[in-house]
Amino acid sequence: MNHFSKMENNLSDFPNPDGIPPVVDRSGIPVSIPKKTSKAVGEGRTFNLIRFFKLVVRRIRVDRILLFMSSLFLFILAISLMKDGARAISPFIREGLSVNNPLNSLGFGWLFAYLVMSGSPVAAAALAFFDAGAMDSSGAFTMITGSRLGAGFIVLFIGFIYVLRGRDRATSLSMGLLALSVTGVTYLIGMVLGYEILQTRMLEPLQLQSGTQLVSIVERIYDPIVTSILGILPRWSLFFLGFGIILLSFKLFDRCLPQMTIKESQVGHLSRLVYRPWVMFMMGSVITLISMSVSVSLGILVPLSERGFVRRENVIPYIMGANITTFIDTLLAAVLLNNPTAFTIVLVEMVSISLVSMVILIFIYRRFEHMMLNFVAWVTRDSRNLILFMSSILIIPILLMLV
Amino acid sequence: MRVLLTTDGSENSNNVLRFGAQFSGLSDQLITVLTVIRAESEREQGKAALLGASQLLTPMVSNIRTKMRLGQLTDEIVNEAKEGRYELIVMGIQPKRKPVRQLLKSPSILNVVEKAPCSVLIVKGPYRSIRKILLCDSGVEDSSLPGKFAVRYADLSEHEEDITILHVMSQISAGPGISGRHLRADAEDLMQEKTPEAKVLERNIAILNQPLIHPHPKVRHGFVVDEILEEAQAGDYDLVIIGAHRKEGWRGILLDDLARKIILQIDRSILVVL
Repeated sequence: MNHFSKMENNLSDFPNPDGIPPVVDRSGIPVSIPKKTSKAVGEGRTFNLIRFFKLVVRRIRVDRILLFMSSLFLFILAISLMKDGARAISPFIREGLSVNNPLNSLGFGWLFAYLVMSGSPVAAAALAFFDAGAMDSSGAFTMITGSRLGAGFIVLFIGFIYVLRGRDRATSLSMGLLALSVTGVTYLIGMVLGYEILQTRMLEPLQLQSGTQLVSIVERIYDPIVTSILGILPRWSLFFLGFGIILLSFKLFDRCLPQMTIKESQVGHLSRLVYRPWVMFMMGSVITLISMSVSVSLGILVPLSERGFVRRENVIPYIMGANITTFIDTLLAAVLLNNPTAFTIVLVEMVSISLVSMVILIFIYRRFEHMMLNFVAWVTRDSRNLILFMSSILIIPILLMLV
Repeated sequence: MRVLLTTDGSENSNNVLRFGAQFSGLSDQLITVLTVIRAESEREQGKAALLGASQLLTPMVSNIRTKMRLGQLTDEIVNEAKEGRYELIVMGIQPKRKPVRQLLKSPSILNVVEKAPCSVLIVKGPYRSIRKILLCDSGVEDSSLPGKFAVRYADLSEHEEDITILHVMSQISAGPGISGRHLRADAEDLMQEKTPEAKVLERNIAILNQPLIHPHPKVRHGFVVDEILEEAQAGDYDLVIIGAHRKEGWRGILLDDLARKIILQIDRSILVVL
């Protein structure tokens, strides 16, 4: 491999004259970023092990650890409640909403994600519906795909609000459109591939071995809580209570993220240098694995660059990587449901999206990159194109529900 | 300046020699012409190539030395450059190879650029007089390309040269709510607003503002490689100059190799400045 000359057009990382908007959480609400309080590790020459541990201990934020534990507790409680409640609302899903085939469930997941401005809770709901028998594995699979497509709309929606407030169209919408376009293409191709993989059942033998032990511990802790709530509320309401709690748990989780630590690290060069696509792919995967949300990991790009700019060469593989590991919470939900097929559904989703992304990165990446950015440029070129696009992404899921 | 010209006796090599001689300043300094043979059986062929080179260069250069080396092309050129402490290697690009071979093995020119101890001038296309130069500055603080160019090559020019200093902004906004003015502005607008890019461009113009040189700033928006290639064609430049930002360690693994793409895709001569 030749590494002789990597040009780096790195003029973007200069002090910001315009001010940077705050980072947004997964629902698009701005969150504040705490200032750096302690000195960097290894700053002095007399670096030693004791000093290092002291610094590590000093940097540990007990409040964030408690927040993380609370969000995890609530997440598991939410899954337990949704699992019980979904059984009671299964007839309503099948007959009331007429979600009877994979296309219906694709549209349902898509619209549901619009409604709650988040994809992960909808994906968890899809698994709960599958576990309750409200939909089959194909239906759950496409509903999860729909939830991700709907979630892709969030960053775009925030940009759209900025446009309505008079901000520049191209600047406000580029990232949201790019995220949605890349997600749309990879997920829709991945859905076809995943559907075939799901039918062959080739991934069914792959199961988490310690899942059963985890579930027995969870049941011991959470069953009494669910039973006591069931004594007060009707069974169907448990699903909605669980759904509300899962939204809350994700909100709490967002607050645990150490955004400034990422900015202070070498990753902060992100905006200045042009990285190899697979490096950005890995970075998107890892950051989303930690943040569990594509919109959060895209939001992290803003403080990473001091002017709020990011190299267009770097963005697409980052989104592609993020689109895979964003399923990690859905995978955890599948384990908590103690349903091997639910686990397989999520695994198939991850594998198919990974395969599609890999093929694009290896064989047609440059063409794909240009195609996506040209599409974004077309949508933002004039109001007519933008209205056409926005109408399409609202009408398509409705049509899918009616098929 | 110590210049090493390479030849294999082909018509393309003659362009290399003429372009190299022009770039070396037509002076009376010693110019070495090197040919590399892979086997003893090619010795006569090598001799003929060197004789042809001498005859071609004699009217232009007074002090020519010829050399023949036996071995692999890349290794021998790099070794000669190291041993002779040359400051510039001038090479031609090899004819296009079959796609499978391209995948399996890097072109020799890229290996030379990677390993050479000095700048490399890659001659492509027909011979042309150097009057319009496109200098692609990345703006990296520790490797000012205009500075290096001014110190080493600017005084070699015997006639007036237009140098366009190009900076490509490939950034897009990372999220909604960011002011995107600078993402569309041209060099003039950026200079009026005294943006960081403008400061670098102004610094570069000051460096290159020398007799016979007319520097102009230019900013383009888009993919780095695409914009450089498009500007090179649109402006019909005689020579494109890029920096050889050799990256070692983590940078070599993580950063994309844009110079490699430019060298392979550009349709005109390119100087990779080390």
